[in-house]
Amino acid sequence: MKDIDIFYQVEGVPEIQHISAPPEETLAALKARIKAKHAIGDDAALFVEDDDGDVDDAKTVGAVATPAGAKLHVHRCRRVLATVAFAGKLLEHKFGPGATVARVKQWAAQQLGMSKEDAGEHALQISGTQDRPTPSTHIGTLAKCPACRVAFDLVPDERINGAPAA
Amino acid sequence: MRPDERAFRADVSRPAFKLAELEGRWRLETIAWPHAFIAVKARDNRLPTLRFELSGFPDAPPTAGLWDADRNGPLAHHLFPKKQGRVGAVFRTDWKGGSALYLPCDREAVQGHDNWRTEMPSKIWRPADGIVQYLELAHELLNSRDYARPDQP
Repeated sequence: MKDIDIFYQVEGVPEIQHISAPPEETLAALKARIKAKHAIGDDAALFVEDDDGDVDDAKTVGAVATPAGAKLHVHRCRRVLATVAFAGKLLEHKFGPGATVARVKQWAAQQLGMSKEDAGEHALQISGTQDRPTPSTHIGTLAKCPACRVAFDLVPDERINGAPAA
Repeated sequence: MRPDERAFRADVSRPAFKLAELEGRWRLETIAWPHAFIAVKARDNRLPTLRFELSGFPDAPPTAGLWDADRNGPLAHHLFPKKQGRVGAVFRTDWKGGSALYLPCDREAVQGHDNWRTEMPSKIWRPADGIVQYLELAHELLNSRDYARPDQP
């Protein structure tokens, strides 16, 4: 069968990575290949994007793939504490390192009672910086072990020259 | 092959670009240097095409405008997304004849807008992020609540 495209993100590596794998390869074997490629410690675990649970290493790549491939994460932290500051409030929650920035923002907006439209007018920015990771960024790429945490500010997404609301 | 074309071809081979293609967020149509044509999926499943001019990539920011692939020319203004909110502010027909998006990461738009570097630093062109940065901004707009199909389809 045709190899599956694996798009993965790794602790300490800012860019999405790619590797191919046969559908019958176990996740344990795939994890070993990724760890060797990036010289990650033996204690690193494999996660499926936006799934906080540890993955069953005995599963095959084909079992977690979608038609677009599989989206995975490798990190030494089992959970990452994400804090979100907004209007004097500080939210915090522990996510799997494969949680996307989009999911953290959605969670924060729900906690703050924001409508979907209002949430669309805001973006997550890494505290103390002007960096706004793309929605598909895994928070594990922003967190180092053993701290296992990342701090965001929920900030207004500026309108070009103050474009009026629709 | 020129260095800028070689750099762009390498850029569209990066996993972040390929993943978005596989997920249907955008699609590279063709490269005819110094231009590249990339269709970006909108909220209503339309795929408006952006024609990028990429001379000097990636050190020089790209510039892009809506393109009519069937006519092989700039998209007629009445086919632009409806002019409203942040979409209307970027997909403008009343600035440079609609030939460029009014985005801080666009080469044409950033000229004369030094204030954007401090007011909207996250939207200023970042060569290391490549064309994905521009496409992410365009895709976000075309999938925002401010996007609506043109009045005259």
